[in-house]
Amino acid sequence: MVDIELKRERIVIRYKDKKWDWILEPRYWRNAILWTLVLLIFPAVCYFVSPGLINTMINANIYAAIAIPLGLMTIGTGRMNFGPNFYIGVGGYTAALLSIAYGWGPLMTLPFAIFFTLVSALIFSPLVIIARGLYYVLLTLLLPLVFLEVTFIYSDTFKGDTGLFGIVPLVDTGNAKINFLLVAYLSLAIMIGYLWVINKVLKSRYGLIMATINDDEDVAHGIGVNINKVKIISFVAAAGMIGVMGWFYAHYFSSFAGITYLPLTFMLKILLVMMIGGRAQIFGCVVGGYFVAFLETLLIRHLGPIQPIVFPVILMIFLFALPEGLFGIWRKRRYREYLPTLHVRR
Amino acid sequence: MKDILKVRNLTKHFGGILAVNDLSFEIKEGETLGFIGPNGAGKSTVVNMLSGLIPADKGVVELDGIDITHKKPYERARLGLARTYQIPRPFPELTALASVTVSALCGKKRKNQSFEDAAVEATHYLEFVGLFSKRNILARDLTFYELRMLELARALATTPKILFIDEVMAGLNPGEANRAVRLIAKAKEQFGLTIFWIEHVMAVLVEAADRIVAIHYGSKLAEGTPDEVVNNDAVVEAYLGRGWKEYA
Amino acid sequence: MKGGQGKKVAGMETLIHYLEHILIYGFVLGAIYLLISLGFSLICGVLRIFHLGYAYIFPVTVYGAWMFMKELGWGLFPSLVGMVIIQFILAWIIYKGIVKRYLEREEIQLTGLLLVALIVEQVANYFYPVQEAVYLNTTLRDGTLTIGSVVIPWQLLLGGVVSIIMTGLFILFFLKTKEGMAVRAISQNIYTSEIVGINVEVLYVFIMMLVLLPVIIGMLLVAPIWNVEPGMGWLYQTTAILVAVLGGLGNIKGTILASFLIGITHAIMCFVLGEPRFMNLSALVLVMVILIIRPQGLARSESIW
Repeated sequence: MVDIELKRERIVIRYKDKKWDWILEPRYWRNAILWTLVLLIFPAVCYFVSPGLINTMINANIYAAIAIPLGLMTIGTGRMNFGPNFYIGVGGYTAALLSIAYGWGPLMTLPFAIFFTLVSALIFSPLVIIARGLYYVLLTLLLPLVFLEVTFIYSDTFKGDTGLFGIVPLVDTGNAKINFLLVAYLSLAIMIGYLWVINKVLKSRYGLIMATINDDEDVAHGIGVNINKVKIISFVAAAGMIGVMGWFYAHYFSSFAGITYLPLTFMLKILLVMMIGGRAQIFGCVVGGYFVAFLETLLIRHLGPIQPIVFPVILMIFLFALPEGLFGIWRKRRYREYLPTLHVRR
Repeated sequence: MKDILKVRNLTKHFGGILAVNDLSFEIKEGETLGFIGPNGAGKSTVVNMLSGLIPADKGVVELDGIDITHKKPYERARLGLARTYQIPRPFPELTALASVTVSALCGKKRKNQSFEDAAVEATHYLEFVGLFSKRNILARDLTFYELRMLELARALATTPKILFIDEVMAGLNPGEANRAVRLIAKAKEQFGLTIFWIEHVMAVLVEAADRIVAIHYGSKLAEGTPDEVVNNDAVVEAYLGRGWKEYA
Repeated sequence: MKGGQGKKVAGMETLIHYLEHILIYGFVLGAIYLLISLGFSLICGVLRIFHLGYAYIFPVTVYGAWMFMKELGWGLFPSLVGMVIIQFILAWIIYKGIVKRYLEREEIQLTGLLLVALIVEQVANYFYPVQEAVYLNTTLRDGTLTIGSVVIPWQLLLGGVVSIIMTGLFILFFLKTKEGMAVRAISQNIYTSEIVGINVEVLYVFIMMLVLLPVIIGMLLVAPIWNVEPGMGWLYQTTAILVAVLGGLGNIKGTILASFLIGITHAIMCFVLGEPRFMNLSALVLVMVILIIRPQGLARSESIW
């Protein structure tokens, strides 16, 4: 059985003939705790000062929560997936259809959303093994667009342009403002949960194995890494996490339309969250998410109809101007820390 | 002495070109087998097929009695086959320590090995090749000789039974070449390895190899002790050249 | 006996009906897809630039010409000339600003190119939204032609012919001219090409502009009959991607074969199975199936021809 020993600065977990060390270094916890406290207080402050900002914060958390598993997928498979919103579509439509057809609440639709996302990821996982370089980029780019077409073809089920309405909301306390507050804390919990888990994985032996796959697949294969297993697991697990955000969107807005999430515009937003934040560094994804969400809200409020033009232009300027991303301004890369390179060409 | 590696009728076509033609040989446990041949003879293809990078068209490969002809590269690594690369292929963004740690983690099924334990084991191998002081340097900042040593450490950390060494002398100056040869001899003794050594520098193989296999146009040209092969007329004609003893 | 014979004849007639439609519409659609995809395949295969922002060319063609016609009151032909000049300038700016600067950092290059396409779409949408009913009268010949049981617009048929001629010219360029050979060298190895004295930079820009021509012509040919809206670029880019991936990037023979294969698939979908909605989906399935069998696409080699 699982055996846990507590030593002075580490916890040792043993299971059968495997052994994991969990090293506890409280001196590194200070920053994380401070920032988490800031994020926790923020919605409460907004509740009293400017409730509209809670909306923006929810968006920011969702963007970050999509970009973080995308970073994991990029490192673990060694390729860049240009169509993560496909899994948002799968998760969201599953939750929407089940909720409308059977009146299920969010807790009941969640396992099904996860299940169908995992299955669809598994179906497309051979792409990760067969397709390299540009072929992988192009095929993953096409998946959400084709899914969108399918939703238009079968528009009696998927309700094409208008989308599905009447999904059971996430929380219902009767008071709309309290609802918002609770949803904000839920989105924060999900994002921080993803961040913590994926950070742990990337700093462990599994993260190192993924780093070797990202750097040179064939050599890793030669030294004993089962690359296909690792690639498929990272792909499917990350897809599942992204699918949960589709579920979140469906129950948060009580409606779900493929046209909002499947076209290229949404995918570009997520991609830019990852890149402006800090090139597949997952803490950067949080910074990127908040930046993009707040920029979007700011522009919509002050610029009106010209916003769809100015928004991508500003994002492009930030993309070119900051080689290390926004997170790189705050924290210069330490020499021996693994900075994942995003590989597009093979 | 039993055979560690048995190769039977290995064949490979690339389109219309027959790269490897019905090649057969054995490597006995504990010996150093040299592998020579002119450029384009098919040496790299043979090594790639034996390590699993490309599939063989025909033939059987047995490692210590187990048929590995259809096994994936990582399975072969876990069964005890390690290789270095002719042009060093490090993990550019990982430190030397991290690269060797991965080998120690994945190279063989080990019981009760945590991440830290693997890192400690990796430092032993780094120290063996002389890279301990460079363990926190990123692989892309190492010198060429250090890269070769890193490749060696990475291969040794998988605790192989047989080690393929692919033209390790290429690009090393005489001092480094000497150190490399002595290190390989020390590794063979200390870790009980069998060595399959592809090389162009004949002086090294004449000293270090127990037997040599020579190939030409994908087929075996000669096989035997270094003296036998070096004096074989066909080998001299195809590869060494008649005046090689003066230039060796 | 007679009834059986009648059924057999009717069966044959339907078969011929289907075959005619598949052949003629397959040819025409394939030819137009060829025009659209040739540029994408060449840029990706030859220049080794994954031009995901290729979609911007389509709205700029239509809306650029429309802008000249509407705002400056120019006639059709001068507007087209103005639009082509703008296309060349845009291609040059994109090359200098995005492609060249980030040859090493490809993720930035790709995202930048995608952003360009998005910005172009939004600009077109801002100035000329769908309600503007933009229409370019670039019809070569009105009316339809009836071949056997097939009714096909003259415009599409002539478009097919133009496409074949253009592709032929491209092939002649790459095979027979000195510049074409230089481009083939670049597609194999940039550094070696530079060493032997090829001016890689100039040729890069030249190719980026050259591939605009078939796309512009293709777009102008279909603009009067297929719909025009700011987001149209993505649909054509999807087809171009499918054709290029199926045919093998950068290989002209493969691209030709792939575009006609997809044209025939679409024709079958529309006229035999009667389900035009499934066109893109069927093409995607076809591409995926063939990629499983032959991961590098239909092309026999990694070169241009």
